[in-house]
Amino acid sequence: MRHTVPDGSRRSSTSTLSSLLACSALVPRACARSSVRTAHAPSLLLTLLAIPVLLVLSACSDGAGADEGSPTAPITVQVGADPEEAAVYRSLVSAYEEAGGGEVELVPVSRDDHLTRLSTAFASGDAPDVFLINYREYAPFVQRGAVRPIGPLLADAGVDTADYYEEPLRAFTYDGALQCMPQNISSLVVYWNRALFTQAGVPAPKADWSWADFVATAGALTRDGVKGVGIDPSIVRMAPLVWSNGGTIVDDDAAPTRTTLHEPGARAALQSVVDLIGSGATPDKEQLAAQGLPEQFMTGKVAMFLSSRVEVPALREQRGLDFDVAGLPVMGEPVSVLHSDAYCVASGSENAAAAAKFVAYAVGQQGQTLTALGGRTVPSLRSVATSPAFLSPARAPASSQVFLDAIPHLRHTPVTPSWPEVEDVIGTQLERAFEDGVPLDEVLAEIRKQADPLLQSR
Amino acid sequence: MIVLSAVFLAPLAVMVLGSLQRPLQPPPNGLDLWPDPVEWTNFATVPRFMPLGRLLLNSLLLVVVAVPVTVVVTSMAGLAIVTARGVLRRWLLGVSVLMLLVPAAALWVPRVVLLRGAGLADTPFTVALLALAGTTPFYVLLFALAYSRIPSALLEAATLEGLSPFAVWRRIALPLVRPAAVAVAALSGLYYWSTFMDPLTLVSSPGNWPVALGLRNLSEMEAALYPIYLAAAVLVTAPALLAFGIAQRSFFSSVERS
Repeated sequence: MRHTVPDGSRRSSTSTLSSLLACSALVPRACARSSVRTAHAPSLLLTLLAIPVLLVLSACSDGAGADEGSPTAPITVQVGADPEEAAVYRSLVSAYEEAGGGEVELVPVSRDDHLTRLSTAFASGDAPDVFLINYREYAPFVQRGAVRPIGPLLADAGVDTADYYEEPLRAFTYDGALQCMPQNISSLVVYWNRALFTQAGVPAPKADWSWADFVATAGALTRDGVKGVGIDPSIVRMAPLVWSNGGTIVDDDAAPTRTTLHEPGARAALQSVVDLIGSGATPDKEQLAAQGLPEQFMTGKVAMFLSSRVEVPALREQRGLDFDVAGLPVMGEPVSVLHSDAYCVASGSENAAAAAKFVAYAVGQQGQTLTALGGRTVPSLRSVATSPAFLSPARAPASSQVFLDAIPHLRHTPVTPSWPEVEDVIGTQLERAFEDGVPLDEVLAEIRKQADPLLQSR
Repeated sequence: MIVLSAVFLAPLAVMVLGSLQRPLQPPPNGLDLWPDPVEWTNFATVPRFMPLGRLLLNSLLLVVVAVPVTVVVTSMAGLAIVTARGVLRRWLLGVSVLMLLVPAAALWVPRVVLLRGAGLADTPFTVALLALAGTTPFYVLLFALAYSRIPSALLEAATLEGLSPFAVWRRIALPLVRPAAVAVAALSGLYYWSTFMDPLTLVSSPGNWPVALGLRNLSEMEAALYPIYLAAAVLVTAPALLAFGIAQRSFFSSVERS
């Protein structure tokens, strides 16, 4: 499971273009989650190759539709979701229909299949009217003209973007226009097991704890059968630490041309993580191969791990697990990394008005309250994020406020078409450094060699 | 032999035992096989996550249509290859092998474009249209190989007797390669029962999906709900096993008779 990290979250990553890319071209790492996926790895290569073709095809066939259709015309909405999440979206759709919206056909597919299906659907000119996608992989779709900028549509539907947090809106702004409407504003946090902290006599994490505190805590928690902390080797996990330490991951966030992980600030942050791993406070390669980090956390084998909000529904289901979340440890400046998905309207949709009406509902007060109660999202609408639907301490994690406290310090990874591939290169190389003990400088050189041409290619 | 079958049965056993575990438990440390207590209600829970009856029916319809069509098309094509002469025969064989080398993913896009253009893209039978193209050239080659063991004099004599090519296929050639026909039927039946990539790309509405794709979408369930996923897997596997159980007698008898 841990191999899916590019996204920074176990599940949202798997459906994404980055994992598709991973499956296809670069490494079978993201495909290794199950034999089924492994078996399909070669064929995914072709999907990948096919995507640009598809998107070009769709771009050619689109663009003519100035007619926006009736606001209650039937529409199709595709989401990549696990079964529990799919149930949340189903209730969202039925609430929308009951509230007088048009007919919505929800197409929930597994996260691994989301982009495959999306790209073939675009190719055939029968794309879903609305689809949900992560900010780290929507850029290729925009670049090929498959997405209709959502700003004007939402304005017509009565949505005021000023009611929403700015960071996700910025992440979904490309070519100077808001392309898709974010539904959440999650970030990287530390999940911690209260029982293991008590047993080890370690105090609960404080806000703005330092990296040194974090390392000391991890060390104190490590004992027989328990490791202090688990950190996935991926850029979305490392980016906030790099930024916190004053480093950067690319030369120019708006138009990156090369990676900068080898430069002093970034390198020092990565070295701190390698040192933490060297101290034995993290699960070793065999332990990680046997069980994913979230499962190790559920079973009390790991006392802390880093992830986004995505883990909450699964952790809530574990009876007897008493967990909470804390902010990321600070190396220099407090900082965290954005995790966000947004609703996009396909440029070929003949029912753009109905699509916009649905999106407006989904990101509106009722829609976001429904998804927030499911536990999976940190609402992007300020009024819902600060409401009991999200913050109620009655449901774990009690400190959901941590996600809101991180918002002023949020940064996002670059939005550029080749980013999913770059993430994958970096993830593969970091894994070598973190798990196989390959010297950090060797790995950083390899990242420059492989990732920089990708950034320059587009 | 028994040891070997035990090895192959092990995953099935793990699936069945796993489907009887109680859900919402922490993931086991290691392989915690024996369910205690046995949780039969997992099976009743499956329809809450996917419309099982509808999807099973779709799959059944798919197999019932696609398998006979596959056998007919590929057995005819195989005969055409064997009865072709000289260069043409070599050329047909070459094309079949070449087509085998085309990875499935390369065909997704053209297929979708083609079927949507023809307005056939959203029915439970959409995937069965692949059977009109023989499903895979491998089956054609399988038939060609089987036919090639029939003395060519026999087929020529039948033609001289005035039988049409169709009658030669129906009355002479096909009955002689019954084991190949059964093998292709079994392989294609399994293929259509278990394919999820084809419907994923070809079929728009979830209501027309086969059960394999429904199962695929459950595969990302929380670890805590895995028993329900495995229960669904048992329910999806059972009809295929049942069909094999019923058909194996005729399968083995046809193989032995040859």
